[in-house]
Amino acid sequence: MNKYDEKWEEQINALLDGELSADGAELLKAEATDDRELARAIIEAYQLQQVMDTVKVERAPDSLRKRLRAIPAGQQPKPAFSFFQPRWAMALASIPLAIIAISLMQPETPTESEIAQARQEMAIAFAYLDKAGAITGREIESTVGQTMANAVTGSVNKAIQSQNLNSKEKKV
Amino acid sequence: MKRSIMNKFLTGLFCMLVTLPVIAQEDELKDLPGYVDFGDLSATYGEPKITINLGGTMLNFVGMMSSAESPETSDLISKLKGIRVQIYNTDDNVDAAKSQYSKVKGNLKGSGWEPVVQVNDEDEQVLVYMKMKEGNMEGMTVMVVDEDEAVFVNIIGQLNPAELGRVMETFDVNVDLD
Repeated sequence: MNKYDEKWEEQINALLDGELSADGAELLKAEATDDRELARAIIEAYQLQQVMDTVKVERAPDSLRKRLRAIPAGQQPKPAFSFFQPRWAMALASIPLAIIAISLMQPETPTESEIAQARQEMAIAFAYLDKAGAITGREIESTVGQTMANAVTGSVNKAIQSQNLNSKEKKV
Repeated sequence: MKRSIMNKFLTGLFCMLVTLPVIAQEDELKDLPGYVDFGDLSATYGEPKITINLGGTMLNFVGMMSSAESPETSDLISKLKGIRVQIYNTDDNVDAAKSQYSKVKGNLKGSGWEPVVQVNDEDEQVLVYMKMKEGNMEGMTVMVVDEDEAVFVNIIGQLNPAELGRVMETFDVNVDLD
């Protein structure tokens, strides 16, 4: 077998597997007629295949099978990549949520009901300002009298109005 | 265990989505010079009875909608950049509200705000502060604390109180504050 090269080994394997063409098989047979080592190699390979065919698959003992089944799922080798792994599931779930979040943060035209709601909220805020004004006016009135209360609240309003006029004049 | 972590993650994301619009409105106003931080009294009084955060964008829309029926109202709104309101029920427990009132008042004094009107009664405390810059109003803050409620109002932008009374009539809303 030392002289017998890899080419013949491949041919022998193909012959035993039934994969060698008819021409190839004839050529191999002709070579084996003149080459005793090649003929012996073919016979040995054939005998080895016969022996392997007689070997039966042995069933594992029950005790070993039970032990294998008892191995927890967590200790079994994990697949290298799977979309069903928790981290991938979280990452995939976060994509549509992130898109929704970004779209919520974008300024967009509010609906008519949202504007009506905002108008209502603004009225509430102004009503509380009014209430604060009424309390302070009442307090001033009870302390210094009606005339002074009007004078104080009036002067505050005038002061603010004058600020507005100033700003308007500046704009002009 | 892994399912629990995933549930927490998804719950956290959901909560974030719900609160994002409110946070976005609040953040829009925080950078404005007339903004006032009122803190948070929810640990003492629970969630506020009323919370209002109106930014400039929404106020512009309200102003546009009002322009047809009342140009005066539209003009008033156009000068506003934001409106914030927080109202808590105090239920006779005014200590925390008074403490917060004093704290905010101290902050206002140290950051260029000027007192306009202040009432210091035993039962009722009212404070109106304004912030002006180069003759222009940047904001107004009103705080009222009594035995029923603690009111914190922050108007960002320009507001003329004399116009406010006239404008209130155009709002077809019934607000009962008593």
